[in-house]
Amino acid sequence: MKKAIGDNMIPRDWGFDRGLALIKQAGYDGVELWLGDMPWFQMSTTDAQVRDLRRKVENAGLVVSNVSTGLHWASPLSARDPAVRAQASRIVERQIETATLLGTDAILVVAGLVTDEVPYNEVYQRCVDGLKRLGDNAARAGVKIGCENCNSEQRFLLSPREFAQFLNDINSPAVGLHLDVGNIHDTGFAEQWIEIHGPRITRIHLKDVLKHRGRCGDQSVYTNLFLGDNNWPAIRAAMSKVGYDGWLIAEMESRYRFALDQQFHDTSHAMDRFITGRL
Amino acid sequence: MDLTRREFLGYTVGAMSLMGAPLPQLSPASAAERRLKKWRVFSSNQSVLPESSAGYRAVIPPRRYKFEPWEQPDSMTDCSLVIMSSVCVLPEKLAERLRSCLQRGTTVIVESGAGFASHLEFRKHRRSLREGLGLHVAAPVNLWSPPRATPYVDYTWPTRTRVRDFTRLIPPAEQPGEIIAWADDLPVALRRRVGSGTLIYIGSPLGPALLMGDIEAIRWLYTVAYAA
Repeated sequence: MKKAIGDNMIPRDWGFDRGLALIKQAGYDGVELWLGDMPWFQMSTTDAQVRDLRRKVENAGLVVSNVSTGLHWASPLSARDPAVRAQASRIVERQIETATLLGTDAILVVAGLVTDEVPYNEVYQRCVDGLKRLGDNAARAGVKIGCENCNSEQRFLLSPREFAQFLNDINSPAVGLHLDVGNIHDTGFAEQWIEIHGPRITRIHLKDVLKHRGRCGDQSVYTNLFLGDNNWPAIRAAMSKVGYDGWLIAEMESRYRFALDQQFHDTSHAMDRFITGRL
Repeated sequence: MDLTRREFLGYTVGAMSLMGAPLPQLSPASAAERRLKKWRVFSSNQSVLPESSAGYRAVIPPRRYKFEPWEQPDSMTDCSLVIMSSVCVLPEKLAERLRSCLQRGTTVIVESGAGFASHLEFRKHRRSLREGLGLHVAAPVNLWSPPRATPYVDYTWPTRTRVRDFTRLIPPAEQPGEIIAWADDLPVALRRRVGSGTLIYIGSPLGPALLMGDIEAIRWLYTVAYAA
């Protein structure tokens, strides 16, 4: 397994180059690039500039693990407004294009967003329809779309069996699950998601979760590895069972208040222990 | 091809059984009830919400619909019900044919699809409805700004029915006719006698609810179709 961490963990005032140097120094193999999060990688970033990002990543001794985005929270594939859906599709298409330019084969998509305004049935149908079409594009580019399980935030696809049915309905080998083991909260168990989805898992986000804190106010339920309620030995065992040997990507929501670089080192060491099973 | 009351009940009961929903209370068959004529849903490049057309397609028996371009000659003759789904700009030639249908006794449903249109497109929408069918519509309303307490449109005719709204509403303005649906205190739909027919304007698309299998929306449509 290989380790990566998101470029959105890099303090903004550090810049991309300094951030990459820290990621390498901390022992990671790759970096996850977040389209739309950081100034160096936006929808308006040109192909030439994207190639330049790749050059910088490779010069730092790293590779790009995958292309993620948070842009779908504002522009979901499930929107009622056709113009917003078109923008959502354009974001996925740009992710596919940039993944190819950056030399990686996976992207992360937050597929749909159930709200009090846009109900579950509509979200499901629009996401299936949209991802069937985008899956064809991804397959042609040799890229896999990983739909992330943002269970509580999306209020969508809350169980692993339901997620499997969703992928069955899309019926595209280029569309799978980008599993976030911290997002399952108290509705299930990450290790069971791994068992059920096995070869359909495109990438895995690692973070820990305080299952009983609840998602209220501005208090995050997420925390650093081994501080929360995830059953890490079980998660590691499930990965072995299904033969997952791909990228593990740290996605820390809470940031250190001081010594910002320390979080990169601590997380990397924790991931090493997870990979080697010293738990 | 006609659909008998028995066929109609068969489709309705079948659809509702599949969805596990309670069956509606339908009145006993009456010998006076006439056989239904053709229903038609027209979609063309004027349909701006494809999922709305798909919704009608999903719930109307295949023998009853034709999704042919409205430009086809005589495609609307002998229809008891014509549905123009998610209309943005209504071309004058189409409006002329709809007027002709209305004069012959057809029920015409015009569903606005302009809720998410740009300002310019909306102005064209409003003008084309006014000039084509004498329908006056007010400016778009975003029902969800601020968030609503209940996400429903309440239909009062031909049956009391509650269907989910579709976020953006193009309310009918003050004009002759009966308001037949409300979103809280905002008018959503209107019906008006025109010639021997009935013109029904819906300001919040129904098609997406049909596509999602909303049993109340399906029942409303069938009741209108049956009354046509």
